[in-house]
Amino acid sequence: MDLLIQLTLNGLFNGAHFALLAMGFALIFGTTGVVHFAYGPVYAVGAYIVWALVALAGLPFWAAVILGVAATAAFGVASYLFIYRPFEIGGSPPFVVLVASLGLFIVLKNLIGIVFGTDVKTVDSVAYDVHFVGDAFFTTVQVGQVLAALLVGCGIALFLRASRYGKAIRAMADNREMATVIGIDTKRLSILVFALGSAVSAVAGSLVLLRDGLNPNMGFGAVFVAFVAVIVGGVGSLRGAVIAGFLLAFVQSLGMWQIPTEWQNTIVFVVLFGFLLARPSGIVRRA
Amino acid sequence: MEYLAHVLVMVCLYGILATSFNLLIGFGGIFALAHATFYASGAYAAGILATKLGIGFPFTMLAGMVVTAAIGLLVAFPAMRVGSHYLVVITLALQAITIDVLMNSKPLTGGPDGIPGIPPVSLFGTPLNNPVAFLPLAAVMAALCCAVAWRLGASPFGRSLRAMRENEAAAQAVGKNLVRMKLVVFALSAGLASVAGSLVAHYIAFVNPESFTIEETILILAMVILGGMGNLWGSLAGAAILVLLPEGLKFVHVPGDIADMVRQVIYGVVLIVILRLRPEGLFPETVFRPPTGAVLPTVPANGPVSAVVRAEGAPGEVVVSAKALAKSFGGIKAVKDLTIDLRRGEIVGLIGPNGAGKTTAFNLLSGFLRPTGGSILYHGRDLTKLKPHEVVTAGLARSFQDLKLFTKLSVVENILVSLPRQPGDNLLDVYLRPGLVRRAERENVARALEIASFVGLLAKADEVAANLSYAEEKLLVIARLLATGADVLLLDEPLSGLDTGTVERICGVLRDLARANKAICIIEHNLEVIRGVCDEIVFIDEGRVLTKGPPDTLMRDRELAERYFG
Repeated sequence: MDLLIQLTLNGLFNGAHFALLAMGFALIFGTTGVVHFAYGPVYAVGAYIVWALVALAGLPFWAAVILGVAATAAFGVASYLFIYRPFEIGGSPPFVVLVASLGLFIVLKNLIGIVFGTDVKTVDSVAYDVHFVGDAFFTTVQVGQVLAALLVGCGIALFLRASRYGKAIRAMADNREMATVIGIDTKRLSILVFALGSAVSAVAGSLVLLRDGLNPNMGFGAVFVAFVAVIVGGVGSLRGAVIAGFLLAFVQSLGMWQIPTEWQNTIVFVVLFGFLLARPSGIVRRA
Repeated sequence: MEYLAHVLVMVCLYGILATSFNLLIGFGGIFALAHATFYASGAYAAGILATKLGIGFPFTMLAGMVVTAAIGLLVAFPAMRVGSHYLVVITLALQAITIDVLMNSKPLTGGPDGIPGIPPVSLFGTPLNNPVAFLPLAAVMAALCCAVAWRLGASPFGRSLRAMRENEAAAQAVGKNLVRMKLVVFALSAGLASVAGSLVAHYIAFVNPESFTIEETILILAMVILGGMGNLWGSLAGAAILVLLPEGLKFVHVPGDIADMVRQVIYGVVLIVILRLRPEGLFPETVFRPPTGAVLPTVPANGPVSAVVRAEGAPGEVVVSAKALAKSFGGIKAVKDLTIDLRRGEIVGLIGPNGAGKTTAFNLLSGFLRPTGGSILYHGRDLTKLKPHEVVTAGLARSFQDLKLFTKLSVVENILVSLPRQPGDNLLDVYLRPGLVRRAERENVARALEIASFVGLLAKADEVAANLSYAEEKLLVIARLLATGADVLLLDEPLSGLDTGTVERICGVLRDLARANKAICIIEHNLEVIRGVCDEIVFIDEGRVLTKGPPDTLMRDRELAERYFG
């Protein structure tokens, strides 16, 4: 019973992490259509910046997170403006943009390794508590993950529904050509979603820094989970991506009941495979 | 000497990987990110079989090919049915679990430590345990793999692949089974990549998971892009350049692990730069021209009607009978109650205002949409559940309003690819019965040229479709439709946007087709034309047939005049 509680809790906390990653990716992919593969290493860069600010510069964690999120947003925007945008202007087919994002992926990932080294980075200056439910336990960091997912999720939902920019983003996600025709500035919106999406990933990255620590390979797993969540959730649906993020985490976590931890990616794959066979349009279908 | 031989061996191995990847993305337009997986699968199959079961080289390789092709098929199947993003994500997932499996199935794969002590290839009792000795084998295998890839590229199957890459809907509309084609090329590409894997396992004598991460796939992709997609020699050149380029790092003193990362950064930068400066790569796509030269002089210009295969049966006999067809998208009913008969030797004009459901009707009849109600009988056979390519094979073909030509293929290739029942579309025949394929190809080229001549495009036979005038494009659409051999032809606005001369020419072609006993249905707005060629008009509005009859009677109808003719 305690094991079940522990696994459910893990699913919840990890689900919050996946949901954050999926939201950021879904914002960018759903709006601009760019398969932003370098989303993974950009998220990693953000987490490393937070680490450097805390561990090397001695900043308090909250200040480091604010600066780190801002820097990651800037990184995301730069990757759009300098890498993807020129291809969009040139009218390149989507697959060329995808290949460029793979190029950026491999460059950033290895630059992280060169600059920071390949050992695991952790911070020990931030103290947090461990809480118990029977024999099951969780930490304040994990609570933070859930809160962050909740706040960011609600914030984005509100932004997309209520604000002028948010509505424009939804219009662009729905039909880019029409959006251009009615005078929506798609370049500005792309910059905005790249900034937002990357910032969201940096929030996830900061918390993972406290929970697990960092290594240069972390980007692949992140973009993998995010991409799968977006497909399983239904392309174009932020809500679907969040649900799928939690679903993946729960299936992974409950799978550990029987299956050793190391097979996480395989479990994700099985969920994806099942969905592609049974419901290829994803959890939330769009008309 | 050893060092040079080693570099050349790596060029051979990456040459195999890059050419096999090129088959997939350059020819088939299939974007998958699993090449490192196929490479790994070949390498581990060799490692496991050789160390655990003591099996020797050629057999480890063959087993690896079979296993790898099977993995490729199994994984790709669900994704192929739905669309391109799905294949990217599912191959990405395959990449992720590959590392999972390699790291965690310790008894089999050795986990993070990999499999050491893989015995070298032994040829005629001599172990090939150093680069100099191994190089000839690597070169021969690379040449073999390239020959296999080249043969595929140059075959009718390769032509079908390129057509599919140009336009999937049009490839289906000329009778190609896209899922089958994609799976075949996927399996073949995977199998070839695994050859490089088994070679590297025996060569290095060691395999571990680190060599098969997503970076490896990106590296191979960079080689293909650099050399030029659709150019197999280019892939070899790309492999050579990207293997040699970072060798310069050897002469700068950086620690090993840093040098590795610097190498990866170089690959990434090369990839982005080449995409920016020269997205088509160093070499242009290889042109495989069918052998028209020998046949061309014997084909008369403005060819006779004999180019058209006469359909069997009595004129006036009902060939296609669609009853109460309905189609709704969500809550919108695009077609409500469409009943239409097509008869041998007759031309039916489908008219009606924009949004009346004319093109939807074509999509239903040709299998591109599945009706939500009603039935389509073709010679008494129910077509409603068939896929587009099956409908074409049955004998009903359609054209598209927006033409959907295979723009990078030549005129004669556009027609050739549409001819039915080509032995060269079967990969087994391509490799095992080259004589049969060659003979069939010769006959098909002659047939394609006859058709080109019939529509008046003989002079342009070897021209790339992208260079045609609009009128010529329209003629090519008809030629392609004819080539399918179908006896029911649906033409979506074959005459719109043309000058009177061309309209007359196409009308003549249509009448010839009707005389050859084909059942024809056209969507058209030009009433003069309709009066000129059609035997019957079916007027549809809001998804249902309002009225039908001979053109003259219908055009006198006052209500119709008000609603449509204004």
